[in-house]
Amino acid sequence: MNRSRGLLAVLAIAVIRFAVTSAKAGVDPDKGKAVFEQCAACHSLGEAGDYDGPTLKSIFGRKAGSLEDYRYSAAMKRSAVTWDAMTLDQYVTDPQAFIPGNRMAFAGITDKAERDDLIAYLAIATK
Amino acid sequence: MATRLKEVDVVIVGLGWTGGILAKELSEAGMRVVALERGVMRTTNPDFSIPLVRDELKYVVRNALMQNTARETLTFRNRQSDTALPMRQLGSFLPGEGVGGAGVHWNGVTWRWTGIDHTLRSHYEQRYGRAFIPADMPVHDWPVTYKELEPYYDRFERTAGVSGKAGNLRGVTQEGGNVFEAPRDRDYPLPPLEPSYSQLIFAEAAAASGYHPFSRPVANASRAYTNPDGSRLGACVYCGHCERFGCEANAKGSPHITVIPKAMAQPTFELRTHSWVTKVLLDSSKKKAVGVLYTDVATGQEYEQPASIVALCAYAINNVHLMLLSGIGTPYDPSTQKGVVGANYCYQPGGAEQGIRMFFEDKIFNPFMASGAFGVALDDFHASEQFDRGPVGGIGGATIIVGQSNGRPIQTRPVPAGTPRWGAEWKKATAKWYLRSMAINVTTSNMPNRYNYYDLDPTYRNVFGQPLMRLSYNFLDNDRKVFGYISQKALAIAQAMKPTSMNGPGALGDYSIVPYQSTHNTGGATMGATPRDSALNRYLQSWDVSNVFVVGANAFPHNSAYNPTGPVGALAYWVADAIKGRYRARPGLLT
Repeated sequence: MNRSRGLLAVLAIAVIRFAVTSAKAGVDPDKGKAVFEQCAACHSLGEAGDYDGPTLKSIFGRKAGSLEDYRYSAAMKRSAVTWDAMTLDQYVTDPQAFIPGNRMAFAGITDKAERDDLIAYLAIATK
Repeated sequence: MATRLKEVDVVIVGLGWTGGILAKELSEAGMRVVALERGVMRTTNPDFSIPLVRDELKYVVRNALMQNTARETLTFRNRQSDTALPMRQLGSFLPGEGVGGAGVHWNGVTWRWTGIDHTLRSHYEQRYGRAFIPADMPVHDWPVTYKELEPYYDRFERTAGVSGKAGNLRGVTQEGGNVFEAPRDRDYPLPPLEPSYSQLIFAEAAAASGYHPFSRPVANASRAYTNPDGSRLGACVYCGHCERFGCEANAKGSPHITVIPKAMAQPTFELRTHSWVTKVLLDSSKKKAVGVLYTDVATGQEYEQPASIVALCAYAINNVHLMLLSGIGTPYDPSTQKGVVGANYCYQPGGAEQGIRMFFEDKIFNPFMASGAFGVALDDFHASEQFDRGPVGGIGGATIIVGQSNGRPIQTRPVPAGTPRWGAEWKKATAKWYLRSMAINVTTSNMPNRYNYYDLDPTYRNVFGQPLMRLSYNFLDNDRKVFGYISQKALAIAQAMKPTSMNGPGALGDYSIVPYQSTHNTGGATMGATPRDSALNRYLQSWDVSNVFVVGANAFPHNSAYNPTGPVGALAYWVADAIKGRYRARPGLLT
């Protein structure tokens, strides 16, 4: 009970924050490209290749844990998340809080502006 | 009857850091290379992915990534008058097994051994006189200078993604780095990691005492990094599951994410796992190796792999063992001090057993928030030439270290001395002090001694019926003088930090092979200037069988107060260059 309530609170805050900041100007995909270097150790934007994480190609609109040629954690597969700007923001903020038990070895990005830039970059680069 | 396979240019025995570096460099140069690894294949995904990898029981208590002592171990005794007995459980040190070897499960401390370490005998003779070095201490200079190795250190640091701060750039002292280090041509590829609270308060106390604290260099990536070969490392997440684990974030510089995949991409390279090399095969002259004999441990089938070059790249102990089993070089005999293979075994006094454990009522250290290697170090009593060994009366030095490598719940239970070992009082104490404790370690160099050596055990045998390695070793007077002197300096810093209470520093009694101390076993097949005092030349070629290269910490004539992997990696690149360049064009002993 506590955990799901906690999660709801996190979600609610994230939704509010997202609504507030996405209206702001100054989101910069070029800066997001630099932020993406943290992700690039494990994630390709193109072909799957020899990366430890799944490719991010066409991630917007994709159901989490749905690529057939990638071995996901059970937590990711049953997460019922569909990736969009909001869910990516929540995930990248604190991956283990958003999808507990997932396998991504990443602590998260606490800076909202950095996340906004990153997601703006991903919106372009994953097409 | 062994099946004879097709000849290759190079057969590599063991695929960890040194084997991986040679495999990549030589296969990229077009040589046909086969690597034989006795363990299994391992990759970050799936072997080290979270949450499964954070399993202290599997990886720490049960040593999942280590050599299986039921198949091979060594026998041990403290002194000549004892009968050596087999080490049936791993303890003091942890030889790795499987692709990546110890490079998978190490913490990542990556020093460059510096000035004095390369010229130990001549330095002490010049400064303190010939009589200062005891007759039973067969120490000799490295046959490679620091300057020669500098570019190779750089290559290894860039391959492994080392985080640190230069202290000496081309002779100019750099604020915040190790001011006692030898000159480096350029800075580390990555900046230091974020220090822990324990490191910050130690650094403050050490600086106030007039010492020179700095972040020690570590192959834990402080940020995401792509190395010059195009291998991608992630940023360290301070998860505290580093030593004895593979890294979930690819943040620990390891061969299985760098050099080994690059070798595997070469059509001239082949890896065979489950392949246990039992012998290097020599021709009738005993001066030339013709290949190796190995057993596929999955099927029991025995194979002969002919090769023009044999590179022994297993753990240092196993390299020396294979030389003794194969008759490469003259075995060392302590009664006559003749022979070289097995001589100069060294270890590293000053493990956690002898460290200073401090408890603070009013401080919270969060020990679980940890990286394997990040730490604050003092080199004032090791690399510093201002440190006068005259009053110590001993040779060598020690680094004083505050790391914070883990707070794993099963084994991390620091309690003040005098706490009951079980029961309600112990439970209360462990709950109280888990967050409120930190440690200072005094990592001490180790000089060779006439009676610290390896030979083949007369009684005990491995799973293939071959004699086990026998290790005769103890801490000696020189170690007690050096450790004793410097641990008192560390104690003074600890006292200045005003802990509520503290344990230690411990005393150096007899060496015990039971508690974990470090996987820093060196020597046994050393490099040197002449075949009289060493098994290998400056390119780590056997003086006696010149197409056998023996690459690893076995080559060090003594052990430093630094961890060994930096020079092990640098020497592997140095050897690879020598083989690709001069040896290939003109085989034989290189000069």
